[in-house]
Amino acid sequence: MEFLVAYGEVAGAEKLIEIDGTVDMHPGTFWVDKYTISLEEIEELANRGEKFKAATFANKCVAPGFIHDGWEDCGTMPDCAPGYREKCMAPLKPWIKMGMIPTFSCDSYLVASYLPSLGQTCAWVESSAIPYVNAVLGARSNFDGCFQTAYLGKVPAYDLHLDENRIATVLVECTADLKRDMDYDLFGWAVGEAVGMDVPAFVGVGKPTTSQYLKLNSALATGGQVYMYHIPGVTPEAPTLDAAFRGRKPQKTITIGRDEMRRVYEMLNYGASDDIDFVYLGCPFYTIVDLQKAAGLLDGKKCKSPVWMATNPLTYKAAVDMGLKEIIHNAGGRLISGACCGLLDGEMPAGSKVIATDAAKQDYYITGVVYPKKLQVRYGTMEDCIQAAISGKWKGEWR
Amino acid sequence: MAEEKIVLKGRKVIGGVAEGEALVSKRPLMGWGSVKVKEGMVVERNHPLYEVPFKGKVLVFTEPRGSGGFVGYGRTKLFGTNPAAFLYRRGNNLTVFAAMNMEVPTVTDFDRDPTEVIETGDVVRVDGDRGIVEVFKKKK
Repeated sequence: MEFLVAYGEVAGAEKLIEIDGTVDMHPGTFWVDKYTISLEEIEELANRGEKFKAATFANKCVAPGFIHDGWEDCGTMPDCAPGYREKCMAPLKPWIKMGMIPTFSCDSYLVASYLPSLGQTCAWVESSAIPYVNAVLGARSNFDGCFQTAYLGKVPAYDLHLDENRIATVLVECTADLKRDMDYDLFGWAVGEAVGMDVPAFVGVGKPTTSQYLKLNSALATGGQVYMYHIPGVTPEAPTLDAAFRGRKPQKTITIGRDEMRRVYEMLNYGASDDIDFVYLGCPFYTIVDLQKAAGLLDGKKCKSPVWMATNPLTYKAAVDMGLKEIIHNAGGRLISGACCGLLDGEMPAGSKVIATDAAKQDYYITGVVYPKKLQVRYGTMEDCIQAAISGKWKGEWR
Repeated sequence: MAEEKIVLKGRKVIGGVAEGEALVSKRPLMGWGSVKVKEGMVVERNHPLYEVPFKGKVLVFTEPRGSGGFVGYGRTKLFGTNPAAFLYRRGNNLTVFAAMNMEVPTVTDFDRDPTEVIETGDVVRVDGDRGIVEVFKKKK
């Protein structure tokens, strides 16, 4: 409670409110070091039968990240070492005993099988998840899911918990025809850079698929800090454009089109050589439909460059059952769950100097993660990346 | 000739008093891989502050962006590579958590944009409790 009160005071919140929705948190970590609860204390709570008050889901582990499935043949250390996974899992056991559901995913909401409803109060984490909970589901969350919010079932009431801060202020007119998943990645990044922390309303963006929402949301909260947006007629808090702005006039109107998206593409796609050492896919973690598509592209092929595809542990099991893992492995690729290269402190096949990915977020962070090592990153569609894995050469270009 | 002094008024995030030379970013700061906690510097590619140490500086910036790993700015405290003070135009839960870890004078929501008024190299005195920031412009 001490932490929530201190946090609320620093944030300027007037009160704590009950979580009637869900919690999504990075297991094993705390937001503020001096309010860390030791493993011994958590074990004691768990053994006493204490439970999290809210339905609580595990986001991916960040300290350390580790591969949950598919580590046996990832070929990289420390994840490939026998016993490493058990060692990483041990401190999370009492969290699970207290009720944390082991989804272990940056997009845990896709496999949670239990979602908050419109207007419910939540405490979530993760760049792509915060716009999802606020904009797509219409539930309410800041970026603050953690042990304390789950255990006490309360959260400071400020920012996105207040009606006022959910109203659109910037009108974004999209002049490009957003078709490919990559288009939503590039559009999201361009919007994020242009509007920063504001709440935009989009016109001309169509009806995004789940994969496209993942791209849009992760890019909005990486290129910028968009936690809430509206798509009039699509997202639940904006049946109309007028409703998105609550009848007010936009504070500003901007246009994002092919030129702005191309500028982002050029920033993300660079390399002195067309030789590709490694391909990483699944940021945010691939959905089962993404895996189906990727496996279809790899079916019967042999990859010249190593390729990793990441998903969450539950979808991994589905992919095994459906034979998708086998197809990916037969082509020389690897399916993993619960972690990405960025979370693994840049762990990737040895000697990777030029990598390829289809995710703006992974692309942009990975160079900082591996610093001071240098890395060049090629960026494109899933098809561009898989083509690069098969041929060992980058052929993607702006289209 | 007297030094030019400008006073900014903002809202307290973390109290205390500090003084130091300003390091100003007119672009948002980003955490996770883009901040090196032990070295106390930004390594976001394309960022104007790339590899510029912020230890002991009054770090002035526009907004946070990106991952919850923004809290890394606060964890610089563990390695003594933290800024002397933390000033930003606009924040959210990420700046709050970073500030709570850093425990240095932190002020936001100013009467004017601090990244417009303060330039790198200006001497800045921060009174976190009162939300007052005095800026002594560097001689030109």
